[in-house]
Amino acid sequence: MREALWAELLKVRRSRLPWLTALAFAVTATVCGLFIFILQDLARARALGLIGGKAQLSGASADWPGYLALLAQAVSVGGLLIYGITGIWLFGREFSDHTAKDLLALPTSRTVIVGAKFGLAAGWAMLLAVQVAVLGLLIGAMLGLSGWSSQTAMAGIGRILVTAALTLLLTTPLSLAASVGRGYLAAVGVMFVMLFCAQVIAALGFGAYFPLSVPGLYAGIAGPDQDPPGLVGYLLVLAVGIGGVLATAAWWRRADHNR
Amino acid sequence: MVADLGESEPVSTIEAAGLTKRYRQVLAVDEVSLRVDPGQIYALLGLNGAGKTTLIRMLLGMIAPTGGTVNVLGAAVSAGERSAWARTGYLVEGPAAYPELTVRENLQVVARLRRLPGSTDEVIDRLALTEYADRRARSLSMGNLQRLALAKALLHRPDLLILDEPVNGLDPAGVVEIRTLLAELASEHGTTVFLSSHLLAEVARLATRVGIIHQGRLIQELDAGNLDERLRRRLSVATRDDTKAHAVLQAHGYQPTPDLRLTGERATARPEEVATLLVQSGNPPIKLVVEEEDLETYFLRMVGADDA
Repeated sequence: MREALWAELLKVRRSRLPWLTALAFAVTATVCGLFIFILQDLARARALGLIGGKAQLSGASADWPGYLALLAQAVSVGGLLIYGITGIWLFGREFSDHTAKDLLALPTSRTVIVGAKFGLAAGWAMLLAVQVAVLGLLIGAMLGLSGWSSQTAMAGIGRILVTAALTLLLTTPLSLAASVGRGYLAAVGVMFVMLFCAQVIAALGFGAYFPLSVPGLYAGIAGPDQDPPGLVGYLLVLAVGIGGVLATAAWWRRADHNR
Repeated sequence: MVADLGESEPVSTIEAAGLTKRYRQVLAVDEVSLRVDPGQIYALLGLNGAGKTTLIRMLLGMIAPTGGTVNVLGAAVSAGERSAWARTGYLVEGPAAYPELTVRENLQVVARLRRLPGSTDEVIDRLALTEYADRRARSLSMGNLQRLALAKALLHRPDLLILDEPVNGLDPAGVVEIRTLLAELASEHGTTVFLSSHLLAEVARLATRVGIIHQGRLIQELDAGNLDERLRRRLSVATRDDTKAHAVLQAHGYQPTPDLRLTGERATARPEEVATLLVQSGNPPIKLVVEEEDLETYFLRMVGADDA
């Protein structure tokens, strides 16, 4: 596994993926900070031209718990996109660059190579979540938000990390889609369908039993009145994550690699 | 599972038996059986779409056969069986490399996955890639990309090389270089080489055994040394009066064509007898040439495409 991880890490390091995904999450944290800055004082925001004269904003409180919850919600939506793109790139690039065939008859098994890709995707996803949390703390401090306590910070950061982990689990089928589709295109299509379903089904009120909506509900995207997802929801997310990994490994091992 | 071929018979490097691949209605490879012995350079000749690459992918366990079996280096090839791959180098269906990695890094990736200690400098030098070692693969020419792909195949000094069109994209000097390298590997290190090609002249210079595949079927196998014996010869004659010459030759038991071409051992082995006959008839030859079928013609005749 160490050799495969080394190889995958080199490929990732030499690509633009780390920079682009880190930038995307940095922008996410900054935009959330801007939103909180506006909520802090709507009159100031109007005077600065950040919002229109008639804008009515709500959905978050301009304090530490509100900002950290907003960051977790942003990770639940943005994560599906960013983690999804990471997985799609890791697997799809082997087909787009026609390098997959060079991974198929080696002393290192295909399952180990697939495992290394998932391991790297998971490690990077969690690092990105940590980046969001750290940036969030810095931006929150700069904004001088009220309601700070170490418990609040720990709970908020914990929520960001758990949301990231739940979201990551949901993206494993995209790696399967990139493999079966032998490239990026089909998997990107699947990702947009997933994003659409997650939003629609949560809006219809069935989110607690629909895995794609679970991270968002956990992060509180539906508001304080909405119950968090139950055990069934979390188990479904776990099942999707494990299922995606196992199905991808099985596909690499068993499929006819004729391209 | 390891192939048991009996005590008296040496274990072949590749042994395929009834290898078949069907994609719905398309029979890509049709009951191919072949054997490649250690140290042999086996060339698989075929037109585009003949089934060469599908066969090679089955040898490497990339495609599961619909029927038949294949053993490589004594191990039965299957999805989970990897024992042969540490001793096998391969290049399938054109060169590929990670474009953002340098030549050296591309080789380091393969070296890691093959669990090889040490540097990649030797193979870089061997494939004349030193000048490009720190250049990203995306900027390489097709020829140098092909060299990189061959370097990946040769990195671990394999006992078996499976190469799909190994000299594609190389300039004439590169072709000679790779041919020399492969011949050297086979003769000096006992490396077995299984290659596919459509370059007949190349194959004739390099291979020790040739298989001709057409429409998925292995239609002929022959030792490259015997290739000459298989090529058709004919005696081509011209005189001042071809009609008279035709009659004279016919009268002496030859069967010339109207344009005075004679086939058969009697004419091609002893053309001087034909010359003597024509001189004695007062119509001496102005041209008398034993013409040998070239490899292209032979190949097209074998695959039944000589009218194309």
